[in-house]
Amino acid sequence: MATNACLVVSLWISCLLATTHAATFSSLQRTLVLTASPQAGQVLKAGEDNITLAWSLNTTFASGIDSTYKTITVELCYAPISQKDRGWRKTVDELAKDKTCQHNIVKKPYTSSNTTFTWTVRKDVPGATYFVRAYALDSAGKEVAFGQTTDAHKTTNLFEVEAITGRHVSLDIASACFSAFSIVSLLGFFFMDKRKAKSSK
Amino acid sequence: MAGIEGSPGSSMHGVTGREPVHAFSVASPIVPTDTTAKFDLPVDSEHKAKKFKLFSFANPHMRTFHLSWISFFTCFVSTFAAAPLVPIIRDNLNLTKSDIGNAGVASVSGSIFSRLVMGAVCDLLGPRYGCAFLVMLSAPTVFCMSLVSSAGGYVAVRFMIGFSLATFVSCQYWMSTMFNSKIIGTVNGTAAGWGNMGGGATQLIMPVLYDIIKKTGSTPFTAWRIAFFIPGWLHIIMGILVMTLGQDLPDGNLSALQKKGDVAKDQFGRVLWYAVTNYRTWIFVLLYGYSMGVELSTDNVIAEYFYDRFDLKLHLAGIIAATFGMANLLARPFGGFASDYSARYFGMRGRLWTLWILQTLGGVFCLLLGRADSLPLAVAFMIIFSIGAQAACGATFGVIPFISRRSLGVISGLAGAGGNFGSGLTQLLFFSTSKYTTEMGLEYMGIMIICCTLPVMLVHFPQWGSMFLPPSKKASEEHYYTAEYTEEEVQKGMHHNSLKFAENSRSERGNRIASAPTPPNATPNYV
Repeated sequence: MATNACLVVSLWISCLLATTHAATFSSLQRTLVLTASPQAGQVLKAGEDNITLAWSLNTTFASGIDSTYKTITVELCYAPISQKDRGWRKTVDELAKDKTCQHNIVKKPYTSSNTTFTWTVRKDVPGATYFVRAYALDSAGKEVAFGQTTDAHKTTNLFEVEAITGRHVSLDIASACFSAFSIVSLLGFFFMDKRKAKSSK
Repeated sequence: MAGIEGSPGSSMHGVTGREPVHAFSVASPIVPTDTTAKFDLPVDSEHKAKKFKLFSFANPHMRTFHLSWISFFTCFVSTFAAAPLVPIIRDNLNLTKSDIGNAGVASVSGSIFSRLVMGAVCDLLGPRYGCAFLVMLSAPTVFCMSLVSSAGGYVAVRFMIGFSLATFVSCQYWMSTMFNSKIIGTVNGTAAGWGNMGGGATQLIMPVLYDIIKKTGSTPFTAWRIAFFIPGWLHIIMGILVMTLGQDLPDGNLSALQKKGDVAKDQFGRVLWYAVTNYRTWIFVLLYGYSMGVELSTDNVIAEYFYDRFDLKLHLAGIIAATFGMANLLARPFGGFASDYSARYFGMRGRLWTLWILQTLGGVFCLLLGRADSLPLAVAFMIIFSIGAQAACGATFGVIPFISRRSLGVISGLAGAGGNFGSGLTQLLFFSTSKYTTEMGLEYMGIMIICCTLPVMLVHFPQWGSMFLPPSKKASEEHYYTAEYTEEEVQKGMHHNSLKFAENSRSERGNRIASAPTPPNATPNYV
């Protein structure tokens, strides 16, 4: 009876620990090798240019390390220079709260052999300096390993994206037309009023 | 000076003990009705309405009310339209935290200047032109948002759109030309409060518009620009409505009446002088900076605060932010009503106490909001803070119409400017740098509110008293309001409207004058 109770309690405690133990970036191993086509300092145009990615398992690690890997998710991540003064892109160790990687490129099932993917930079990607990171997820969707195109300090091999402005000539013209209408109708009513006041004198 | 015995109606005040308690109308014995006037609502000797019929659009009183508050609402929507879309805009324009903070300060700073000018414009040209001109001339600035492509442009356009907040002054001024002083607190509070709601409504409207436009196929960086066209169109529509349907005074428009000789034209220099040399003006400038000012600052930072501190999703943070601004629907009119209600029993002294209590309450709960560690507690404190601050705004404008009759426009303008100055200063001190976290900023803002509300204790009216001092026995309303004119001007008869106003303001003495019965053969001491 007592051992049963002990077992239940210890199981319960370990469950609790498991659920409250949030995944952190520092606990992940860099077991994936990831390469991206942009050269260091290259500027890509959003909506037009492509990035070709290739990832595979780093074979220098012990075999079987990838037994829990079920999916690979590849993300576009902000370099430190684009995080400066911008708290909404802050790097935090706890992965659930980390805001470094906000643009998902692709999510694919994991295979240990080399996989490639070509991605057109989306139009909603902001103008900034980036690198690419891939996370290996287990069956529960939790991060268990990673790989990235830059070094540990995120200083090498960074590239830029030049975003679309979002402006269009048609919008500019519409703006000008409505503004003109506003001013003209104001003056029109004003002078009509003045004339009515004069004539009623 | 002229005594109060026998002045029409005053002796009946409080005698029957059966006056209606609600502040939406003024019963006839208290303020005499002008039966010669043909209006939809009962009016007093200046043809101002004595009754506030909320769901009517009758010309001129209630129609003015609705035109006025909706114009002001529209300007609030466009001034704070960027706030809920900042997460998209900051990516499109590559903004930093200080860019966003500067834009927030800029959005409230433009109107410091424009509110001062609007006060003078209302005094000289009338509130109808003031409102229409401002609303229609700021429409191009709203359309300019879709052209912005840099941080500098963003700050500049938000600064220019912010000029439109001066419609606050035309709104309050227009209300005080149309409604009797006994109900002016409630009316002004309702009009301004519903206008201020625009700051909350925009946090709901703009994200919805953005989503709809995105669904029709636009990219995010274009969709937010198109969304700004809607506030721009609202400006144009309201401007046209004000020009075609509005009028300055119950009897007509200012220029027509000035030509007929009914309304004396005044000199800006003298109007400004009497506003600036009245010490009460400056105390109310400070007070409003710490009721309206903190409301505007909070409008700009609260969504981000809940998003960051409690890890909420953006749309949920936006809903909470909207709640803060939308509390104006009831909170500000409540403040005006509380002011009018306390005036019924305690006169002007009641109004001053009500103001002090409401504003200090707001400050205390702002302090507690900064300290709250759990989400339910934070939301509860935020709601009480919003009620306190917004009701204080309503109560402030329950007193301001009595500071001066001649310079009402300029004083309203100065107080309005003070509100924005307080907002800009508070955002600059506590919310633009990494020196203080947002929660520390809220705590310090709460402390500053409590301290800056204390000067209300210094406001003293000789004929009505102050928070701690009773009125002087020899002072009268006529003397106070006529003192704003020189001997020469009195000779020319420029002070007649002020005399009418003085008569109608007798109610600020509170219940005290109720006990004197009418002498049977009394004739009024003045016409």
